[in-house]
Amino acid sequence: MNDTVALLQKFNAHPDSRCWYVAWNPKGTLLASCGGDRAIRIWGREGDSWECKTLLQDGHQRTVRKVAWSPCGNYLASASFDATTCIWKKKNDDFECLTVLEGHENEVKCVAWAPSGNLLATCSRDKSVWIWEVDEENENEYECVSVVNSHTQDVKHVVWHPTQELLASCSYDNNVCVYKEEDDDWECRATLEGHTSTVWGLTFDPSGQRLASCSDDCTVKIWKECQPEGGQEGTDVAWKCVCTLSGFHGRTVYDIAWCPLTGALATACGDDGVRVFKEDETADPDQPAFSLSAHVPKAHTQDVNCIAWHPKEAGLLVSCSDNGEIAVWNYQSGV
Amino acid sequence: MAHKSEDLFDCILMADDRFHVEGYREGFGEGTRQGMIDGRKHGASHGAKLSMEVSFYYGFGITWKFLLQNNTDVKARKRLKVLESLLGLIQKFPHEEPQYEHLQEDMEKVRAKFRQVCSLLNVPTDFSDYVKSGGSGGISF
Repeated sequence: MNDTVALLQKFNAHPDSRCWYVAWNPKGTLLASCGGDRAIRIWGREGDSWECKTLLQDGHQRTVRKVAWSPCGNYLASASFDATTCIWKKKNDDFECLTVLEGHENEVKCVAWAPSGNLLATCSRDKSVWIWEVDEENENEYECVSVVNSHTQDVKHVVWHPTQELLASCSYDNNVCVYKEEDDDWECRATLEGHTSTVWGLTFDPSGQRLASCSDDCTVKIWKECQPEGGQEGTDVAWKCVCTLSGFHGRTVYDIAWCPLTGALATACGDDGVRVFKEDETADPDQPAFSLSAHVPKAHTQDVNCIAWHPKEAGLLVSCSDNGEIAVWNYQSGV
Repeated sequence: MAHKSEDLFDCILMADDRFHVEGYREGFGEGTRQGMIDGRKHGASHGAKLSMEVSFYYGFGITWKFLLQNNTDVKARKRLKVLESLLGLIQKFPHEEPQYEHLQEDMEKVRAKFRQVCSLLNVPTDFSDYVKSGGSGGISF
C-alpha cells in the first residue's frame, strides 16, 4: 500500500448536528452539503480553502438527508425527512426554491437526477420509489411518471445509470432493485439479492457496466449485468454478484463512490474510516478483484456518512460525518 | 370369571389413559370449532378492509374520470390516461379469489398507481385516519 490519502482541509459544516451528505456540482466548482440542522450549505473554493457561499435555511422542516445537482448544474434538489423534495434554481450566488415535490408518505431518503436532466427519482421510508418528469416548457412543473413499490422496507438510496435510462435503488430489505421504463411506466426488472443486511449505498462504474453496493453487513458487492439463460428478447435482465469485498470494514459501510476519472472505489464507514480500493488489472473482467489501496482509520471522530469524488480533478475526495464536519482529501496512487 | 375380573381392573387401571384420550378428543373438537369461528371472523374482517380500500380507489377513479372526460387540454388527457390505467388494474383484480397468488403484488401496484394519480391531480393524500403508518415521528436515518 504505497498509495496515500492526505488531508487537505477539515471544517465544521453543520454546527451541533450531523452532516449527512456532500455533492459536487458537475463543473466541480461548488460543493453542496446538507444536515440535521435542516440547512443546505454551498461551499466554494477560495484559494486553498473552502468557504461557505450560501446558506439555505428555510427550505425544509426536518433534516435534509441528501442533495443532488442537475446535470446542467443550474438546479439543486434536496430530499428531506419532512417528506418533501425541494427543487432550487441557482441565481448567481443565491438559490431560489422553484417548487416542492410532495407525495411520499414519510421521510424522503434520496433524490437523484437522470443524466438527461429530464427525470428525477426519489425514494422514501414509505418503501416506494417515485420517478418525476420535468415539463420541457415550464421548469416549475414536475409530474409524477411512476410510483414503484418493489421494496418491502425503507428505501435508502437511488442512483441513475451514467448513460442509459436505468435506475437502481437499495433498501433496508437487504436488496437492490433495477428499474427500466416499459410503456410509460417504470417497473422493477431485477432484484439483486446477496447482502445480509441493509444496503445503504450504490454507485455505477464510469462505463455503467457494473454496480457497486455497500451494506450494514460490512461488505461491498460488485454486480454485473449478464445475459439471462435462454436469451429471450425483452425479458427481465439479470445481474450477478461478481465480487464481494469482505473483511475490510469493521462496521456498516454507509456510502460508496466510484471515481469517474480513475475507476478507484472509495467507501465511507461507520468505524469513522475512509478507504480507497483499486481494481487489480490482471483479473478476469467477469471476476474482478479489488485490493485496499489506502485507508484513513480515523478520518472523522464519528461515523462517515458520505464520500464523493471530484468530477474533474483526479484524486480529490470529500467526506462528511455525524460530527458535522466535512473533510477534503487528496488520494494519490503510487503506481 | 377370570375374564370378568380382568375387565374390572382394566377399567380402573386404564381410566387415566381413557380420560386423557377422551379429554383430548373433546378439546380438539372444541378448538377446531372455535378456530373456524375465529378464522372466519378474521378472514371476513381482512377481506372487508381490502375490499374497502380497493372500492375506494375505484370510486375515486370513476369520479375523476367523469369530471375530466370532457376536458380536451393536454394535461387532462394525460391524467385521464393514468386514471384509465388505475381503473384497469382494479378491474383486472380477481375479487372472488382469496388464494390468488399475486394478491400482494397486485395490491401494491394498485396502491402505487393511486398515489401517482393523486400526485397528478394535486389531491393531498393524508390518510392518517384510515391507514396506520409505522412509527412516524421517531428517529430516522
